[in-house]
Amino acid sequence: MAVTQVETPAPAGPPPRLTRPPRPSYVPGQRNVFTGLSHVALVVWSVTVIVPIVWTFMSSFKTNTEIFNEPLGLPGAFRLDAWGRAWDKARIPEYMLNTVIVVGLSTAGTMLFGSMAAYVLARYKFPGNRLIYFMFVSGMVFPVFLALVPLFLVVRQLGLLDTYLGLILVYIAYSLPFTIFFMAAFFRTLSTSVAEAAMIDGASHTRTFFQIMVPMAKPGLISITIFNVLGQWNQYLLPIVLLPSQDKWVITQGIANINTNAGYEVDWPSMFAALSMAIVPMIVVYIIFQRQIQSGLTAGAVK
Amino acid sequence: MSETIRDTADVSRRQMLRGIGLTAFMVVPGAAVLSACATGGDDGDTGNTVSNSGDAKNPLGVKADAPLEVVIFKGGLGDEYATQVHEPLYKKSFPQAEIKHVATQQIAQTMQPRFAAGNPPDMIANAGSDNMDNLALQSEGQLQDLTALFESPSVDDPSKKVKDTLVPGAYDVGVIDGKPYMLAYVYTAYGLWYDKNQFTKNAWTAPKSWDDFKAFCEKAKSAGITPYAYAGKNASYYQYWMILISAAKIGTNKVLLDIDNLESGAWTNDAVRKSAAAWAEIGKFMDKSFEGLIHTEVQTQQNQGKIALYPSGSWLENEQKKETPATFEYSVTPTPSVTSSDKLPFEAVRAVAGEWYIVPSKAKNVQGGMEYLRLMLSKEGAKGFTEKSGNLTIVKGAAEGLPLSPGNRSVAALQLAAGDNVVTDSRFESWYKELETELRTQTNALMFGRSSADQFCENMQKKADAIKADSSVTKQHRDK
Amino acid sequence: MRQGRYPFIIGFLVVPVVLYAVFVIGPYAQAFYIATTNWRGVSAHPKFIGFENFTRLFQDPVFWKAISHHLFLLLALPVITLTIALFLAFLLNVAGGSRSGGMSGIWGSKFYKIVYFFPQVLAVALIGVLFQAMYRPDSAGVLNGLLDLIGISPVGWLTQPNLALWSILAVMVWQAVGFYVVLFSAGMAAIPAEIYESAALDGCGRFRLFFGVTLPLLWDSLQVAWVYLGIAAFDAFVLVQVLSVDRGGPDGSTTVIPLEIWRQAFTFSRFGYASAMGVALFFLTLTFAVLTLRVTRRERIEY
Repeated sequence: MAVTQVETPAPAGPPPRLTRPPRPSYVPGQRNVFTGLSHVALVVWSVTVIVPIVWTFMSSFKTNTEIFNEPLGLPGAFRLDAWGRAWDKARIPEYMLNTVIVVGLSTAGTMLFGSMAAYVLARYKFPGNRLIYFMFVSGMVFPVFLALVPLFLVVRQLGLLDTYLGLILVYIAYSLPFTIFFMAAFFRTLSTSVAEAAMIDGASHTRTFFQIMVPMAKPGLISITIFNVLGQWNQYLLPIVLLPSQDKWVITQGIANINTNAGYEVDWPSMFAALSMAIVPMIVVYIIFQRQIQSGLTAGAVK
Repeated sequence: MSETIRDTADVSRRQMLRGIGLTAFMVVPGAAVLSACATGGDDGDTGNTVSNSGDAKNPLGVKADAPLEVVIFKGGLGDEYATQVHEPLYKKSFPQAEIKHVATQQIAQTMQPRFAAGNPPDMIANAGSDNMDNLALQSEGQLQDLTALFESPSVDDPSKKVKDTLVPGAYDVGVIDGKPYMLAYVYTAYGLWYDKNQFTKNAWTAPKSWDDFKAFCEKAKSAGITPYAYAGKNASYYQYWMILISAAKIGTNKVLLDIDNLESGAWTNDAVRKSAAAWAEIGKFMDKSFEGLIHTEVQTQQNQGKIALYPSGSWLENEQKKETPATFEYSVTPTPSVTSSDKLPFEAVRAVAGEWYIVPSKAKNVQGGMEYLRLMLSKEGAKGFTEKSGNLTIVKGAAEGLPLSPGNRSVAALQLAAGDNVVTDSRFESWYKELETELRTQTNALMFGRSSADQFCENMQKKADAIKADSSVTKQHRDK
Repeated sequence: MRQGRYPFIIGFLVVPVVLYAVFVIGPYAQAFYIATTNWRGVSAHPKFIGFENFTRLFQDPVFWKAISHHLFLLLALPVITLTIALFLAFLLNVAGGSRSGGMSGIWGSKFYKIVYFFPQVLAVALIGVLFQAMYRPDSAGVLNGLLDLIGISPVGWLTQPNLALWSILAVMVWQAVGFYVVLFSAGMAAIPAEIYESAALDGCGRFRLFFGVTLPLLWDSLQVAWVYLGIAAFDAFVLVQVLSVDRGGPDGSTTVIPLEIWRQAFTFSRFGYASAMGVALFFLTLTFAVLTLRVTRRERIEY
């Protein structure tokens, strides 16, 4: 937003510390008490975060009766049948795959077009530059709800309703404001000397961008890619409107549907199994990439 | 059993009015409406004209190899009746046709955009609380005129028209502007449902007057059982049906007609006020937690013996099939009389043909969709439906010889007792969706003790007046 | 061959600008137009009615109710989230004492951060379904089950009109806290240890350290966080829709503008009126973002 200072995104992990003189310590006893209390507070929040997720897993092994009569109890037996039903009926793997396809392509498109536009807007002076930049950036505060109905009409008119292409193009368009805002700031910070040298050596503008600037902007690109992947993965409103066919659904639509089904079919364990199925891959991916995800997202925020 | 069924048909001869959709809720209100957008460009096309060739084998002229897409609302009735009965019947007639079956709980959400895109399926079971507005679809030219179907020879007896094989009145409810656009296939009765065995065991009888009702509530409460409950989170309309039924019993069906016609003072009418006040008394016996539960959660509690009476329609028994213990026997009773001077007797019941089946006029295989309906209306189709879904259809005598479930036996008895005393359905539910939405809110506020009967009536009247004054709302009218 | 400057600029901008114009600017512009019509979708030709929708909007009690809920969220969501996040971040970074010679992180701080951040990667739709089970109004709910253990009778988290919005707010806080813990941790880690040390030498207690040193140095992050959370406070659609009684109830006590837009457009077919609400939401969001950045602007603290 209006944060003026531009800096490279915080590198993952703590920044290198300056040499520091020995520090006067607090009274040891007081420190231990304080540290102990701190742990208590920190653990309380950890439990708050973990309990709903663990509870969901546990409930997927229970029966309806167990869920309602002993919500806090352990499952009477290790039952996997709800997982089987969820796998067959809830079609979670299928929706996951659909989502991977959509998000993969649209993030790729967002990054390509977003950084191209950002680069030009950040590094080239031409009439209308500010206007285009402002047009893109102001999109960050537009409420999507306002555009929903006309957007549906536009997509329909283009014959793209209920197609992945339509959803992908819309995702790209709606991810551009933040991507351009962030990447333009990033490109401005990069040194101009390398690019100038390349141009003098006869490289075209396009080659300079792809071969010199993109590699230099890698940390920024990674941050914002993560940001876009997560944002698009969790998108719910746009697919409901633009992708009505159940065969094509993405994961968020699938989850909403499971919730409805469970209500109709009185099958809560399989709802919790389906939810767990949707959560597990997220946990795995998150734990593998947690460093990049944390630094990427928060770097995105301070821009 | 056959006796009972014939009686049922007999009673229904009086007047079968337009039904309300089945139970249905979704997490997400659909991308519905987009139908609206649908109509934007291409209105002129009124769809196919299907004529009736008189050929008994294939009167509607179905192309034998044309694929057929069938969309079924998978709610209380399930969808086995389609996959195991009706679709095989169609396949038998047209072996070359490929049938695509789609089951969903979110009819509007999945179907509206397809209407909008000009690519609707060939037959839709348009049900659920998130069903599409038939009236709107019809006015946009999206519904196929089903005249040719009803005039075509019946599958079972080619000398009879399809129209004449139905229980009287069933045909009429699907007529808009003189032409049939919808098929209301399922016969539904509304009332208070309970476990007969629980009542026998506790030596309880279903209450007939409001004093009985309150005394009953005290008794059940002291036995540790919630006397009465409905699900406030998504099924408050089950409760407003009861309020409306009681209002009609106090002051005749005219009360409901006035409400539908947006007459001034229709909601502040003494009958509505008394009904609301009476139900608010019952609300006091309900645990507050029910406002946060959904219908199947409350219904399951009833199956577990924790709730005595539950307001619903006759799909309930089938919906709860899996959760119902062997000792639980569904039975239904009319809403008790509010005053001793009620204009309709205690036995009066709301029983209507409902569950809409429609053929989109812009479908690729309109003939196929209509033929599918014709097969549904055959004895074999209707009987199979009753077997699979546990609900009765409007096809005369189709359930003869079938063993009836306890719930259906009780429905039949209910209708026999009701005789001519039928409580009419309420059409504002689909005509004026805003009024309906307000009624849901006001019903929860009333029943969970946050507002009085007077406030309930005034708030509803205010909303009704606002809609009446709103020129952008097309007004509808009914005389009976 | 060296390519020209303008062909290059145009070549790089054309795709993003066209996508953005077609799918974002176009629909928003149309929405502003629709807001001045009585379009209900049925007729092909909407009638222009000027500001009638807006006059009606300003007299609509539901609209004002929704606005008041946004104001509540606007205040409560950032205050609560940021308080918890700052507190936890401070514990994570400063409570470790002098274990390795500096104001090092508390033992296990990496683990805590991984856990806290996790809700951020879950789709809101999924979180809504998850919390449905937490908040069940009878003793089968997780929270009420816990209360039951200590003999407290079930609380209607979502059925009491004066509590329901707080319950929904709590879910938003639950999801958001981790993100800001990580954000502030990065900010705190970037504060040179010398500053803490000299403060400690001056006899600063931990609390004065926090308010006197840490907080001012994090001002930029806080400002951005407030804008982010504020924008989130104008949404809340999915959670309200999934969790609340009767979608926005009881008695409209949890309704928000996006939900009313959805209802007006997709249940009542009042596209004109829905768009007018959207326009109001647009100006509210914009005003908020600009005001926040203006009011909180101060001198940067250089270090």
